[in-house]
Amino acid sequence: MQTSSTTKGESVGSPERAAAGPQLTVERLSLSFGGIRALQGVDFEVFPGEIFSIIGPNGAGKTSIFNCISRLYTPQEGRILFEGTDLLSLPPHRIVSLGIARTFQNIELFRNMTVLDNILLGRHLFLKSGVFSAGVFLGKAQNEEISNRLKAEDIIDFLEIEASRKKVVGELPYGLQKRVELGRALAMEPRLLLLDEPTAGMNLEETEDIVRFVLDVNEEFGTTIVLIEHDLRVIMDISRKIICIDFGAKIADGTPKEIQTHPKVIEAYLGEEFQGKESDRGAE
Amino acid sequence: MDEQTIPKLLKASAEKYGKRVALREKDLGIWQNITWEQYYQKTKYFGLGLLSMGLKPEDKVSILSENNPEWLYADLGSQSIRGVVVGIYPTNVATQVEYILDHSQSRFVVVGDQEQADKVLEVKDRLSNLQKIIVIDMKGLRRYRNPLIMSFEEALALGEEMDREDPKRFDSLVEQTDPEDTALMVYTSGTTGKPKGAMISHRNAIASARNFLSCTPLRVDDVIVSYLPLCHIAERSFSVLYPLMTGGITVNFAESLNTVQDNIREIAPTVFFAVPRIWEKMHSGHVMRMRDATRLKRWIDGWCGKKEKEIYDMECRGKASGLHTKALRTLTSVLHGYPLKKHFGLNRLRYVYTGGAPTPPETVIFFHSIGIKIRNLYGSTECTGICSVHQGDDIRVGTVGPLSPGVELRIGEDGELLFKTDGVFKGYYRNPEATAEAVVDGWYLSGDVGSLTEDGHLVITDRKKDIIITSGGKNISPQEIENEFKASPYIKDAVVIGDNRKYLTALILIEYDNVGKWAEDQRIAYTTFKDLSQKPEVHELVSKITEEVNRKFARVETIKRFTVLDKELDQDDDELTATQKVRRSIIERKYADVIQKMYKAG
Repeated sequence: MQTSSTTKGESVGSPERAAAGPQLTVERLSLSFGGIRALQGVDFEVFPGEIFSIIGPNGAGKTSIFNCISRLYTPQEGRILFEGTDLLSLPPHRIVSLGIARTFQNIELFRNMTVLDNILLGRHLFLKSGVFSAGVFLGKAQNEEISNRLKAEDIIDFLEIEASRKKVVGELPYGLQKRVELGRALAMEPRLLLLDEPTAGMNLEETEDIVRFVLDVNEEFGTTIVLIEHDLRVIMDISRKIICIDFGAKIADGTPKEIQTHPKVIEAYLGEEFQGKESDRGAE
Repeated sequence: MDEQTIPKLLKASAEKYGKRVALREKDLGIWQNITWEQYYQKTKYFGLGLLSMGLKPEDKVSILSENNPEWLYADLGSQSIRGVVVGIYPTNVATQVEYILDHSQSRFVVVGDQEQADKVLEVKDRLSNLQKIIVIDMKGLRRYRNPLIMSFEEALALGEEMDREDPKRFDSLVEQTDPEDTALMVYTSGTTGKPKGAMISHRNAIASARNFLSCTPLRVDDVIVSYLPLCHIAERSFSVLYPLMTGGITVNFAESLNTVQDNIREIAPTVFFAVPRIWEKMHSGHVMRMRDATRLKRWIDGWCGKKEKEIYDMECRGKASGLHTKALRTLTSVLHGYPLKKHFGLNRLRYVYTGGAPTPPETVIFFHSIGIKIRNLYGSTECTGICSVHQGDDIRVGTVGPLSPGVELRIGEDGELLFKTDGVFKGYYRNPEATAEAVVDGWYLSGDVGSLTEDGHLVITDRKKDIIITSGGKNISPQEIENEFKASPYIKDAVVIGDNRKYLTALILIEYDNVGKWAEDQRIAYTTFKDLSQKPEVHELVSKITEEVNRKFARVETIKRFTVLDKELDQDDDELTATQKVRRSIIERKYADVIQKMYKAG
């Protein structure tokens, strides 16, 4: 139950970490479906430990970028480098083992499974024992089960969802389901976390909660976070850097302050009302 | 045990019980055991940690946290080096926290987590005495670069170092603690004015615990769950004092605030203390659940419930013998009573208490009839807890039991209850005027009005200042009427008004969850609390409940008009005390125009 508002500045990725060179590099990314050009030469760099946001109107191509990184889509042109590895040369299931995890805009959990089982599923890639030893639950398999359960319990503790541990996900309120999805992503122990609209459809309290958890993840584990978000107040509060996408092309990048005053952003996305003011959850 | 201070009791317990389990905490999904030795060791390290940071005798240490073992380490550790511990409700908002930290001149504050730490950081600039904020759970705080902040582990490490240098130091400090030292200060929530810090000495605390235990033989194998705020004297007694005095009761800490009910079920405590609000919630939860149950279950619940009440009535009149009654009792308990107890996690109970405020009789009777014999416990912070309690098998609804051993009573001319015991406190901190008003010649003026029955049971009427005198000159206790309202699952709170007026009226606060469910069943669409509470159908519902309540009282005591409040009462708005009691004067002021309307003609 966290209700305190986010502390500005204190938790944003620190500059000394940024000096280490980019963790994720996206170069000239272009993607089209037949005649529709979803992405047109998008470039950006994300540095270790920072919170990086992608904004833009609906259908601008934000989620397509995520889908390219997690290899659900294959772009026609461009390169994506994660810590020096070219992601496009890898099959989708290898992405997770590199240390990249994501959540989805519409919750993608197993609705009929418990919270604990959903989170344990995120540990799948750490399970090494074979069918036989797992089947008879001997030595290694048992140790593995215990250590993974411990990790899952750590996450449950971290996200304060003890009370719903054994509950079936489908029964939980929406805000809590989002938290569970974040938990499953954390179970993969990612170094880069892609969050697709974590606060969509949430009330103010749920939004404050989830933002607090995103900041905690960033602080506690040093996880780099790339965020797609419509709630501009959240974006401006917590991001170190923002890019704005419109019609598949990058139209601006910079710090929250620069983005707020960028004429193209104001024109394309924020509308005239936003100028200089703190926004409500407009844009949707 | 005969030790005269709380830290000495801990030391003796650790020596005597060593490897036995003293505390249990659910962490990462598993119940973790903490032995008496470990309990003592952590307490020692924390105490020495504070000492190495310069804590002096009589310095104040505040604790602002949910219940956990660290709370106890901090509490007893500070007392061991003759510090004074001030508990603060974790539900208090920043300004209330500031008042207590400032007034108590606390040098250290132990906080549970980031949420609590933020409250202190918000007001730290105005607290000149504050030296360190010691944080139990550092999550989200590691990158706060504030020099005031340190983690609980760091404090323990400081103490461990000191202990290594001088292993005898702590034991000799414990020896120096004096029964007359102030051990703790409890800021009374006070339904009027600012909170006052009641100073309680070791002697007070131990005397009061001894009084209670002499009429309640707790055993070493008893188990309790610590879940009510520890800053309140009642939970402090059950979680800290009684286990120390009896040596061996296991105290269990819930995993988080939201899991308390599940954890109680897992533990199935043998000794249990709850405030009326919790009993009401359990009762209304049962009533609401039955509405969704199958027809068969509903029938069983209805039939058994009725029979159980009949048997209970017979028991009260001493006529519950005969084969038929016994058979019936067995049948209902198999079908109904036992499964329900098990569901609440109260199936192993030996001693069960309610206190803190009056419990609606209907709720008490429900629990009694399913075999949970709730005892009433009456006391006050200023007497270090208990003044009277139901003892042995003599448990009655409507009384708060005979006086506890070691407590003397005098009834003042106006009916006010005065108590004299070794538990009567040392006075209010930095407030001699209030102390002089509260204690006269060693008698504590409770502010409660009541009487003794012929066979020595105490009956509490109401708070002295709350008694309503209508313009017709009739004395009325609002509490009795409000309690009848609260027995309804749809009503959370009621405030009866009528002092100096022609008739009685009431402000009604609905129970959101239950009324919401009712509305859904009736196919009434609503959006928010405000919307729901102002629906004509809800008004109709409350009006029916009012009629039922009115039937139980004489004509002058009936509610002529009522208003359903369109907002929940909130501690943050000063409308409730930290113990969730209604602040009558503030509410009457705040809703003055609403009240005025109820007294307009027409």
